[in-house]
Amino acid sequence: MSLLSASESNAAVRGVGVGLRASHYREFLDLQPQVDWLEVHSENYFGDGGYDLHVLERLRPHYPVSLHGVALSLGSADGVRAAHLAKLKRLVDRIEPALVSEHLCWAALGPRHFNDLLPLPYTREALDQVVSQVAQVQETLQRGVLVENVSSYLQFRASEMSEFAFLAELAKRSGCAILLDVNNLFVNSVNHGFDPAQALLEIPGEAVGEIHLAGHCVAGDLLIDDHGSRVVPQVWSLYEAACRRLGPVPALIEWDTSIPPLDVLLDEARTAARISQAAHA
Amino acid sequence: MRDLSALQAQFGAGLDAPVCTADALEIFLGEPEQVKNRFEIYRGNTMANAVKAIGATYPVIEKMVGAEFFTGLAREYRSRFPPNNGDLNEYGESFAAFLGDFPPATQIPYLADVARLEWQVHLAHYAADPAPFDPARLACVPPERQLQLRPWLHPACHVLHSDHPIARLWEVHQDAFSGEFEVDFSQGPEHALVFRPHYRVEVAQIGEAEAAFLAAALAGGTLETALAAAQSRSATFDLGRALGKWVESSVIVDLKLNGG
Repeated sequence: MSLLSASESNAAVRGVGVGLRASHYREFLDLQPQVDWLEVHSENYFGDGGYDLHVLERLRPHYPVSLHGVALSLGSADGVRAAHLAKLKRLVDRIEPALVSEHLCWAALGPRHFNDLLPLPYTREALDQVVSQVAQVQETLQRGVLVENVSSYLQFRASEMSEFAFLAELAKRSGCAILLDVNNLFVNSVNHGFDPAQALLEIPGEAVGEIHLAGHCVAGDLLIDDHGSRVVPQVWSLYEAACRRLGPVPALIEWDTSIPPLDVLLDEARTAARISQAAHA
Repeated sequence: MRDLSALQAQFGAGLDAPVCTADALEIFLGEPEQVKNRFEIYRGNTMANAVKAIGATYPVIEKMVGAEFFTGLAREYRSRFPPNNGDLNEYGESFAAFLGDFPPATQIPYLADVARLEWQVHLAHYAADPAPFDPARLACVPPERQLQLRPWLHPACHVLHSDHPIARLWEVHQDAFSGEFEVDFSQGPEHALVFRPHYRVEVAQIGEAEAAFLAAALAGGTLETALAAAQSRSATFDLGRALGKWVESSVIVDLKLNGG
């Protein structure tokens, strides 16, 4: 079986996209604002039909679409849930997205799903498990996927390597691409006390197929990845460093809480495009 | 060293425990107090995401009881029936049964029935889209066979029966509702129809004859059997008028002869 490499799979996606959220549906349908591509949360479109899918199918001819999953639980010790994967497969077949991505995390164990992006212990055992589960997902979907670094508040004592070293090995062994979330990198660097610019060097540049940008909030000594505000200057700087190191990679503005008027997202997207262009000039 | 499965089991047990235990915390790096505070964020997230899903599915219940009481109900529900699925749109089916059984909620006698209605409204939102209906296709059906046509209901349609005026209660609690906030609790039992014209889910109170007709249609009956069911409730049931209204509002999305 041939899976698309990161560079092939993102061939249809260039420039800067924004996350499509229900409060902006009307504006997208009526005005088709200028934005390079759209990303949605896969699980919001798992239904048999209805308005959300209708909107996505109406917009699909006008924008490349990326399906970004939040609940597949690639890192579960007891395997990926077949029913969830089947729903994703049905959606992928229906939408024919340009990109499909998930997170480097776990959420489900036994009969429970915790509905959150929980961090993994970065051990060799976990790596073997995630490699085989990413391979299973790619086999089922008959395409390559991207896997994103998550924000976290705790680190396991058992970890044997950094998150990015784990992600680099995962990409090498499974053939998946990396979705580099620059905000998550910054949030973790503060929460766990490391140098984010140094961590960026651990990422194999050729494996990165997409970048995420978002806002976070401050809670005492901790940064919380709430996707509820503009990208902060430190994250823009890291993004600029990433652009220099990685070359042109499609980037996305994510906003999930306190969603502002669409113009604010488009303004953030223009900022990202300016930084990317300047870095490659 | 603990393996992945043991570490996740310990993490998960800490998320579900009523009070966070030291057991769940020892697997993480850092000062115990800091680890405890940070673990609380995960405990908060997993609870909040389930509560948010319940709130998104049951907005009318939330308006009826107020945000604070509703959050308490949703948290209690989540503790008793935690999610087993990453698709949160499938979470909360048993919320109505919970409300009918949980003493603080049973003080409002119609709450569980309104929740049953809201679950159907929620399902209707994600139900399949029917193929477009072309009434011209019916022109070739000979008049003597017309009553043998089977009415096909939109996949979003559902009929509920309640001792309470649930359709009216649902209506007056909609954001867009601007009429008199009046509900007649003396009207007796009613039937509520959930339907979805143009992707927008609506709820209407319907009569007993209409409910009998739609129930027969949902069971796969022909116009003839559905009409007989309706006329046994009301001799004046007007088939032409009912069909016109239901085709117009996408309740009936096709009429087919057997095999056709």
